[in-house]
Formats: sequence, structure tokens, C-alpha cells
Amino acid sequence: MWRKPTEGKPSSESYNHPVSSSTPVESPRPASPSYAPPAAPPSRSSIESAPATLGSNSSKISSGLKINGEISGSADLYIDGEVQGKLRLGQARVTVGPNGRVQADIEAREIMVDGTVNGNLKAGERAHFGASSRVNGTVLTPRIGIDDGARLRGKVETVQAAPARETSTSVKQQATEALQSVEASVPGE
Amino acid sequence: MNWMAKTRPAVTSSAAGVAPSKPGPAAKAAGPSANVRISNGLKEFLWLISDVPRGRVLDLGPVWQSTVNFFVDKGYRVSTEDLLRTWKDFLTAEEENFRAAPVGAQTERISPAALAGKFLETNLQYPERSFHGVLAWDLLDYFDPEVAPRLMERVSQLLHPGGAMLTMFHSRAAERFHRYRVIDSQSVELIASPTLAVHAHVFQNREILGLFADFRSSKTFVGRDQIREALFLK
Repeated sequence: MWRKPTEGKPSSESYNHPVSSSTPVESPRPASPSYAPPAAPPSRSSIESAPATLGSNSSKISSGLKINGEISGSADLYIDGEVQGKLRLGQARVTVGPNGRVQADIEAREIMVDGTVNGNLKAGERAHFGASSRVNGTVLTPRIGIDDGARLRGKVETVQAAPARETSTSVKQQATEALQSVEASVPGE
Repeated sequence: MNWMAKTRPAVTSSAAGVAPSKPGPAAKAAGPSANVRISNGLKEFLWLISDVPRGRVLDLGPVWQSTVNFFVDKGYRVSTEDLLRTWKDFLTAEEENFRAAPVGAQTERISPAALAGKFLETNLQYPERSFHGVLAWDLLDYFDPEVAPRLMERVSQLLHPGGAMLTMFHSRAAERFHRYRVIDSQSVELIASPTLAVHAHVFQNREILGLFADFRSSKTFVGRDQIREALFLK
């Protein structure tokens, strides 16, 4: 009656992806990553609205586009073009597609690379390098996934996971409630 | 780090042969078809760097999930630089530059040693004494004998005093090109890979000692597969 379902049990054959309490590792990804969006028609603007499959809060830099400068914000970003400068998307996911070429430091919650990155990567939750990825720089992340064939030239260092968004939301909610209770205790006009 | 001060790990009786008699659990999980090799050199290497908290390890082979996990789980920081592939890319670029040079331009093919010097201007660029351990696998066998000493000179500078370096040498020309990844503390898996470079040189013991003249101590394990694992302590 108390037996656990077997499908939830990790496979014993995943020797190269061992699950560890200190450095949890992602399960291997298929050759064509599920996080890659389908091919989109060329865009006229430098940053186009992302296809629906990327999510409503996502943007895409298509192949053939080049951006030079700093990109910051909280929306997920898919890069299949060229970016130089700096990427600061602390609470979002940055995906560098197979055609993507990034020459910038990247700071994001999740960093997925299938293209080329020259720069230091800092992931709040995890970083994943696909088989076609070429990364040159230091990687700071709590969790890392590396597909066979990935090329990494640089240092891998594990850091503590960044506090989850839910935590900050709940703190914010508590603060709002506290403020409301203070307002409620103030005598009305 | 003192080579003699600690209790030495027991050397496995299979003496670094292929198909270990008692592989670790991770090696068993690799499956029966996996080309797993017991590595006493790796065991000794880990023992030598075990004193260093948050030590830094440089893997000169390609990046593998299992190798990174292995060291990161033990608290090490891992750097990877696929030296052989980088070298091949460098040679290809040099060749293209040579071909693209206009006729009559002052372009002469430079010697392998000079090429190595040029290569090192942009590669293996780490501060001196950055690492406590270096995994060189069997890469030196694939470099020109004039290039290997230049590379080892640089790697030696990168090692912290007391640091260890693990290398392997084939006693005869390797039949297949392999990459290596760490499975557990005494096992490595040989991954048959597309030939990136042909086996260039079979090093004699005297040559090996010459390559590592800057190191103060060495230890060699010879496997049944005629691969010599050599461990050097700086």
C-alpha cells in the first residue's frame, strides 16, 4: 500500500548524471532541446515579440540580428542572433540557440546554451550546455548540466542557489499585509 | 602536501588494467559495454589533492558531466580546457592564414616549438600556481615531441607547489583515439572518439622524466593494456 511508484525512481544507469544533494544535476536532454522554440519568421525589429511557445513574457533575438549593449529586465530571452555587451536578467531564463553568438557576461536565473558564448555566466538556479554549445568563460551556478559534445573552456564553480521568487513574493505579501494592518489601526477621518 | 606523510591508498591488484575485477558502483552503472578502466593513478592523484579544501583542478580533456560532478561534489573547483582540440583549431587557423597570405609575402612555416610559443600566447592563460591538480590523460602522446615540453613547462607553472599531475603514456602507438572521463574515485571510462589527432610519439621513460624535470617526485603504474599512468608531484 505504501509502495512508491517506480516511475518516480531515478534510474541506476544515470552514472554520468548522478543526483547529489550538494550539486543536483539535470536529467539529460534530447538532442533537440525542448526549450528551443520553433523556427520563427524573420523579424523587422531588433527584438521581436516572442512566439507564443516562448511564453507571453519572453522575447527573442532572431538569427541575423545583432545587438550591442546592455540588456536587462525580467522577461525570458531567446537568442539566436548576435549579442555583445551585458545581459542582466536575474529572474529570467536566457537561452542561446544553436545559431546564437554571445559575447557578453550573462546573469540570469537559468542559462541554457546551445550556441557560442564568450563571457562569464552566473546562473541563479542552473546552467545547461547542449551538445553543440561552445562556452568560453567562468560558470557560477548551483546546478550544471553538460551534454556530451559540449565544449567548455573555463572554470565551473558551484554556488548556493539564489533565493526563489516565491520567497520574495511572500515577503512582499507579508509586508503589504503588515502595512494594511497598520493602516487599519490608524483612526479614519 | 607531503607525499609520504599520509596513509597511502591501497593499490588495486588488477594494476590499472581494463575491465576491473571489482569496479565501484558508478563504474558498474556504466554498463557492461562501457570501456571502464581501473586507475590507480587517479586514486593516488585524489589522495594527493585531498588535503586541499576547495582545491582547483584543471582537466585538459573535454568537459564531461561525470567528471565535473565528481570533483564539484567533492568540493573542488574545476576548470576545463580541451587542449588537444584547441591545438588542432589553432593549427587549422595557422594553416588558413598561411594559405591566405598573398604571394610574395614574408610568410614562412615556423617550427613546431615556435608554434607552441605562439599557441601559449592565447591559451593556458591562468595565473601561476592556480591549480592543485592537473589531469592531462594521454594527451602528450598526440603532440609533436617538440611541442610537448613547451606545454608541460606552462602547465608546471600553473601548478601549485605540492600539486599533482596525472598523465598517461601508451607503450605503443594507440590503435584508437580515446577521451577519458572520471566515473568514480578509482575508475575512468575510455570514450572512443573520432580521431582528432594521430598518435605522434611513444615516449620512453627517460623522455618522460625529462618532460617533468621541474617536478620533484614521480610514480608510475603500468597496466595490462600497456598504458603507463604517471603521477608527478610538484
